[in-house]
Amino acid sequence: MTSTGGTRTDTRGARTAGSFPAACSSYAIGWILSGAGVLGLIASLILTIEKFRLLSDPSYRPSCSINPVLSCGSVMSSPQASVFGFPNSILGVVAFTVLLTTGIVTLSAKSGLPQWYWRSLVIGLFAGAVLVHWLIFQSLYRIQALCPYCMVVWVVTITALWYASLHLCTRSASASSRPVTRIVTVGAQNHTLVPTIWILSVASMILSAFWTYWSTLI
Amino acid sequence: MKLTTNAKFSIALVAVFAVVLGALLLGNRSGTGTTSAGASDATVLRADTHLLSTAPDNDVVLVEFLDFECEACLAMYPTMERIRTEYADRITFGVRYFPIPSHTNSGLAARVVEAASRQGKFVEMYQRMYDTQTEWGESSESQEPLFRTFAQDLGLDMATFEADLKDPTVAERVERDFNEGIDLGVQGTPTLFLDGVQLPAMPTYEELTGRIDAALAR
Repeated sequence: MTSTGGTRTDTRGARTAGSFPAACSSYAIGWILSGAGVLGLIASLILTIEKFRLLSDPSYRPSCSINPVLSCGSVMSSPQASVFGFPNSILGVVAFTVLLTTGIVTLSAKSGLPQWYWRSLVIGLFAGAVLVHWLIFQSLYRIQALCPYCMVVWVVTITALWYASLHLCTRSASASSRPVTRIVTVGAQNHTLVPTIWILSVASMILSAFWTYWSTLI
Repeated sequence: MKLTTNAKFSIALVAVFAVVLGALLLGNRSGTGTTSAGASDATVLRADTHLLSTAPDNDVVLVEFLDFECEACLAMYPTMERIRTEYADRITFGVRYFPIPSHTNSGLAARVVEAASRQGKFVEMYQRMYDTQTEWGESSESQEPLFRTFAQDLGLDMATFEADLKDPTVAERVERDFNEGIDLGVQGTPTLFLDGVQLPAMPTYEELTGRIDAALAR
């Protein structure tokens, strides 16, 4: 695996290399980021297109406005949907394109991207994750409606942040102190656990916030 | 393929989550099962339902559950106005309040219309709400000052109007419609009932007249 390309070939280095599961390799991370990029890009594009339609025809009913709870219309026309004065989905179109490109380059280029690039990517993803969490709070407790495409973006952003951080850490783990390496190793060995716990927590919040609605479904 | 502990833990978490959720939802259903026996006397048309058109024989009854702040109701409004004029005195057409909680001003709008109805201006206020919805809909601020100007324009006695707006019985009247809508299975607005049967969401003018004509021919 190329993820620990910098590791020396002595026994300790080999053990370190072996202790990071395949999920942290460039190959796996390439596919994860490409997949996240494609899904996020599709969701952002649909949201942007729906926003244009809604603007040109106020009576337009977005494809995902199904009922009072699942309602892109009420989410998209809220002030929170344009935090910076323009629709948030435009940020998504730009950011997920970068993510998709990074995924493809990671998959195809042998040498891999430089360390500074991964650091910047993780910083960018972290900023995205902060925005996403604020939007989750707004959607659940202020707007009180869910927009399916936005939820795709939530999941994809968190997954991408987690795996990109893990990749960055495992790449630089050989240069770090032993406690740091141990933390990274534990994180890498339990890589699906973190996003699973996160997704289940958000799912619980969604379920409790709209409990009356869910219970009318069955 | 042998599962890693990481994968096992993640799958176990998801399974536990699914089981707990299933138990909660089923427990909820058996809970509502006992109450729905009491709610089975829910009726589409009540003696206090506001009628936009009255047929002498009350043979064909069309009832719309609506929200004054809902975009889909605004989209439906021209059709409903056409139906109202074309089938005047031939069908009984009633409207009931279903203010969706996620809309900031929908509950207030319903109370304003109910307060206006106490001075015999139900139809006028109902029309005013939809005529102006694009000006105030989706706002996160209270539109009470604007609604007050509507009342003035319609020549309502303002002291009575103010008192009615604060009157808890007005709020209860709106609430009663909403709760009965829930019991009837209304999940969103507009929801139409023709002779007690819920129609598919957002029928076109042709679909609606087809059904009404068929009901009249019976």
